[in-house]
Amino acid sequence: MNISPNEAEESLAAIQQVVQKTRRSIADSGYSTMLIITGIVWLIGYLGTQFLTGPIVVAIWVSVSLLGGALATILGIRRGKRLRNPATSITTRRIGLFWLLLALFCAALIAVAWPMDGKTLTIFIILFILLGQMAMGLIFSFRTVWWVLPISALALVGYFFVPAYFYLWMSLLGGGTMIALGSYIHYRW
Amino acid sequence: MAAELNEIIHQPVRLRIMAALVTLEPANEVDFTYLRELLDVTDGNLGAHLRKLEDAGYIAVNKTFVERKPRTYVAVTAEGRKVFQEHVLALQAILKRK
Repeated sequence: MNISPNEAEESLAAIQQVVQKTRRSIADSGYSTMLIITGIVWLIGYLGTQFLTGPIVVAIWVSVSLLGGALATILGIRRGKRLRNPATSITTRRIGLFWLLLALFCAALIAVAWPMDGKTLTIFIILFILLGQMAMGLIFSFRTVWWVLPISALALVGYFFVPAYFYLWMSLLGGGTMIALGSYIHYRW
Repeated sequence: MAAELNEIIHQPVRLRIMAALVTLEPANEVDFTYLRELLDVTDGNLGAHLRKLEDAGYIAVNKTFVERKPRTYVAVTAEGRKVFQEHVLALQAILKRK
């Protein structure tokens, strides 16, 4: 079979285009939306914590977390239908176990360090969640979780340098950054 | 021995199907509907080209049920991955001779 150099060039360009589109589609399927959902949960939750007091704060956190969790589950199921690996059921169980153990370690550390104020408790939980995200990224796809590093840095800056407005800081910078990053990945990546 | 062009893979739609499938991690399979949207082709067109690739042994088609609904998953075989790489090398060799 013989083809001209022009035809070869066109074929290679078509391959490159599909490879890039597939990579983007796989990387973006769910991750950007997850980022936006988590950002919205943080934005609403921390704004409530900064400006409100009493049981309403707990109610806000529980509501937005449940809503975020439900949306994340729907996204996960949707992604699983698009792309699957017959060997992933064991991996999925291990991921679940990893998050469960991480939550137990976080609870143990909080118990050891107790008593602590609300801000310290918040930064502990945030750092454990971000640590878990980073571990997932290192194992599965670092490209999709590099945002964990700037968010961790922002959380620590807020905790140490603007303690009076820590929750507002986490709401606008943490939540806002996640929403902005998610939107950027979704529309520009 | 120089890599050779593969007539089955060279057809534009099949070339794009193979390019999409080799981009997946080994052992991953992709849903037919997702592949159709990704490549922007019709059901019939995609189905016909998948059959050709399956007959050649370059892809594996797995028909299954998910939540009682029939679903078709497609994955590239080791042979398919190998011939696709050879095809790309052959295309690059033609360009180098330009």
